[in-house]
Amino acid sequence: MIQHHPDDELLLAHAGGHLGRGPGLLVDVHLEGCAHCRARLHDFEALGGALLEAGEPALMAPDALARTLARIDDAPPIARAAPQEPGAAVAPIDWPAGVPWPRALQRCEVPRWRWMGPGMRWCRLTLPEQPAERLYLLRIGPGRSLARHTHSATELTQILCGAFDDGRAVFGPGDFDSADDQVHHQPAVLPGHECICLASVGGPMRFDGRIAAFVGSLIGM
Amino acid sequence: MDIARRLVPARQAPEWRRLTSLSVVTRSPDPAQMPTSDELTNLLRAVASAADRPAFAVLFKHFAPRVKGYLVRSGTPAELAEELAQETLACVWRKAASFDPARAQVSTWVFTIARNLCIDNHRRHGDGAGQADVGIDELADAEAAGDAPDECLSTSQREQGVRQALARLPEEQVAVLRRSFYEGQPHARIADELGIPLGTVKSRIRLAVGQLRRLLDEFRP
Repeated sequence: MIQHHPDDELLLAHAGGHLGRGPGLLVDVHLEGCAHCRARLHDFEALGGALLEAGEPALMAPDALARTLARIDDAPPIARAAPQEPGAAVAPIDWPAGVPWPRALQRCEVPRWRWMGPGMRWCRLTLPEQPAERLYLLRIGPGRSLARHTHSATELTQILCGAFDDGRAVFGPGDFDSADDQVHHQPAVLPGHECICLASVGGPMRFDGRIAAFVGSLIGM
Repeated sequence: MDIARRLVPARQAPEWRRLTSLSVVTRSPDPAQMPTSDELTNLLRAVASAADRPAFAVLFKHFAPRVKGYLVRSGTPAELAEELAQETLACVWRKAASFDPARAQVSTWVFTIARNLCIDNHRRHGDGAGQADVGIDELADAEAAGDAPDECLSTSQREQGVRQALARLPEEQVAVLRRSFYEGQPHARIADELGIPLGTVKSRIRLAVGQLRRLLDEFRP
């Protein structure tokens, strides 16, 4: 049961097409698993439709229809939404069985896992068009804790499997979290199951400890 | 309009028109001149099933100037807006067969196409951080798997609810919502142009979304 969802501001920005690529992917991954938020997104899209309907028309070029018909003749109709390309659903190596690899991430390149501490691994996903986007997978063993930290910019997290408790709440599979510089936390993974999270990081994390800060700076978080 | 009359059997009760006093949000021509939602759906069906060019011409006349208006309002230069509006309508032709009236009204569907083309264009030209496209086609599959019944609103309930909310909201809230969500203006610029504090921009958006949500929740079982 999903307990934590993206807030209205975030979904509204996504429905309007104003979210950055990394945050947008995080929201899309959440939407895949959350019917409640899909319904909310559709509400906002309907708002877009109503505003379009009521909006002020702009004058089109005199030959606009003829040119559009020419475009149509150049390209055949699309029968149905294109099916997923076969072989596109490549999960990272060593991905836990039974945890679906999000469809929204299928175009990302996923390098191999890297060590960042006992029972902790990470990798940075790259988007073909936006290599600078800071998108990470974090994989933390049961009972392990991340170093205590806050954030220099908003960090969005989507939990793919397992659960952690950071003192504010317990976040489980499918949950979404948004944390900014007001949130100072130490996520601790619950015993029994490793936790894998997808994170979109707007700016560097600020770790309390110097060693954690050093490791963080090495991996670019 | 002759073509619309010919294609659309009898004018059904224009339900949404009765429900909405669009006066709050519209400066568009006489609503009596506008095709109803059912008419638009029938025109689109004619395009999908029979590649009906006269039907497409009616859709073009209705939507292309509105899409261009939307793009210009969201800061797209006029020439590019003309180009993207034509491309949006070409997409309407090509994707007509995948339109599902159970999921959205035509105007909402056209809004999402225009939005996604606009995002693609930003990404291709590397201006801005590269927005996220919203995975609507992918989400459709997830939805086909079956959304929980308590999350499901019928298309007409959602679209009516949104129009009622727009008609009932104070103009100052609609104005901020339109600028922020529809035109993609940053909150700081809205505050600047309207001469109101930043906090007021945020609270007006929150109030507007809250009201929209309350109205739509009334429809949810």
